[in-house]
Amino acid sequence: MSTSNLIEIKDLHVRMGEQTILNGVSLHVPSGGIVTVLGSNGVGKTTLMRAVSGVYRSTSGSIRFDGTEITNWPSHRIVAAGLAQAPEGRQIFSSMTIAENLRIGGVGLTPQEVAEEEEKQLQRFSILRDRYRQKAGTLSGGEQQMLCIARALMCRPKLLLMDEPSLGLAPKIVRQIFDLISLIRSEGHSVLLVEQNARAALRVADYAYVMDGGRIAIEGSSADLANDARVRAAYLGGHAA
Amino acid sequence: MFDVFFVQQLVNGLSIGLIYALMAIGFTLIFGVLNVVNFAHGEVYMIGAFAGLLAITQLAPPLFAVILVALAFGALAGFGLERIAFRPFRRFRDEASLKSKAIREATLLSSLAVSIIVRELAEKIFGSNMQSIPQEYLLLKPIEIGPLSFANGQFLIFGLSIVMLGGLQWLLKHTRVGLSIRAVANNPMGAAYVGINTERTIIATFVIGSTLGAIAGLIVGLYQGAIFPAMGFAPGVKAFVAMVMGGLSSIGGAVVCALILGMAEAITTSFFAQGWGDLVAYLFLVITLVFFPTGLFGGGRERV
Repeated sequence: MSTSNLIEIKDLHVRMGEQTILNGVSLHVPSGGIVTVLGSNGVGKTTLMRAVSGVYRSTSGSIRFDGTEITNWPSHRIVAAGLAQAPEGRQIFSSMTIAENLRIGGVGLTPQEVAEEEEKQLQRFSILRDRYRQKAGTLSGGEQQMLCIARALMCRPKLLLMDEPSLGLAPKIVRQIFDLISLIRSEGHSVLLVEQNARAALRVADYAYVMDGGRIAIEGSSADLANDARVRAAYLGGHAA
Repeated sequence: MFDVFFVQQLVNGLSIGLIYALMAIGFTLIFGVLNVVNFAHGEVYMIGAFAGLLAITQLAPPLFAVILVALAFGALAGFGLERIAFRPFRRFRDEASLKSKAIREATLLSSLAVSIIVRELAEKIFGSNMQSIPQEYLLLKPIEIGPLSFANGQFLIFGLSIVMLGGLQWLLKHTRVGLSIRAVANNPMGAAYVGINTERTIIATFVIGSTLGAIAGLIVGLYQGAIFPAMGFAPGVKAFVAMVMGGLSSIGGAVVCALILGMAEAITTSFFAQGWGDLVAYLFLVITLVFFPTGLFGGGRERV
């Protein structure tokens, strides 16, 4: 592909003990794009996201981000390079306040930048402003997801990884989150989205990959995949034929 | 009418309790971040006292400078301890090793080993007896307030403890390092995702905890006139009890329990013989473990 790819993952393998969880995954996200990775439970989507963020080590393969080889960098360097993640399970700091969660998200910025960025996020998520001094653990699931996304955006990432942002949320909140993803792109962040809600993900993404058994099974533009018989079958929980 | 002797014992207990609190914070910070107990904390306390004593006998600087020397050596000891006894057993990148019991037990033993080696080395070099401390540095000058008589060391303990406890609260709430320490203690996975340098945060935790411990050691050494290689053992046990009573990872809980412990000891020794004071700590530990297994302040698993 062209050189305008923000991230390029080539033949990524992750092994944990005896088990091979990622078995040669290759994908890329163009600058300014929204790319989604679909697939049922346990096919390695979250492992892929963790490996990209440096939380898991890969056993082979390469990850190039913004022209730099970042394979197996420690996670704090990856975040500093401009790659943030709103992880699965949200992983917010429940015993710390909303304000502290946001400030931690901007750990690499100057105090001035933190203040600016925080104001931006509070404008976007007014609920976080209302509960600014409260412990993050007191928020509802949807609010925690908002905080998780806001926290990830605090470091002004070029690429935002989102792992199952709609998991366990009410349909109304899910719609809000998907609207938000388009908005985030329009502000100049690229997005790599892992989702089980394939229908909504394909609607918002430009390009999609379907994972199965630790590798990419199908890929194509979102429009093409939405009409693909195998993907349609997979929507209903079956395996791609 | 109030009993002068009793009030005085309470004040004594409070000052000892504050010292336990400073030590307990070191335990608690490290437990919060790593989920492990640092058994070499008592030796850091001893190193603080000896570093100060060496500065006194070699250079005879003002007390303020002696405290700075103890602070520097405490920080260095914390850094070294983390490198030698903790880091080699930690591969921090996946959940499995974060929660691994094997790592917890390995560092428990390695820190105990470091503790024994350091204490034995100190005995080899300085002898196991109490060191002689130049008279002018002893913190035992009496200060009379009405019918009560205090030592100037008690005022120093009060003042320094309040400054350090307040400083620590400020650090944990308002600085990048402090927020990182709390974040790693609260959710290590989340900390990795937001780009906190976990390794550096762990080192910072050891340095801060050890600094508090080393200063506590120096002041107690000068206040009680007792600096010797095994001096860290008894207060280490008391601080450990305070940490367990406080719920393992609650700083506020540990401080309150340390104060209770110090006062209970002082009151006990005012009614019974000296040796009974130590028994109080163990009694508290047993009562806590039997009736409040999560500690007096640990119910909500609130951390740091």
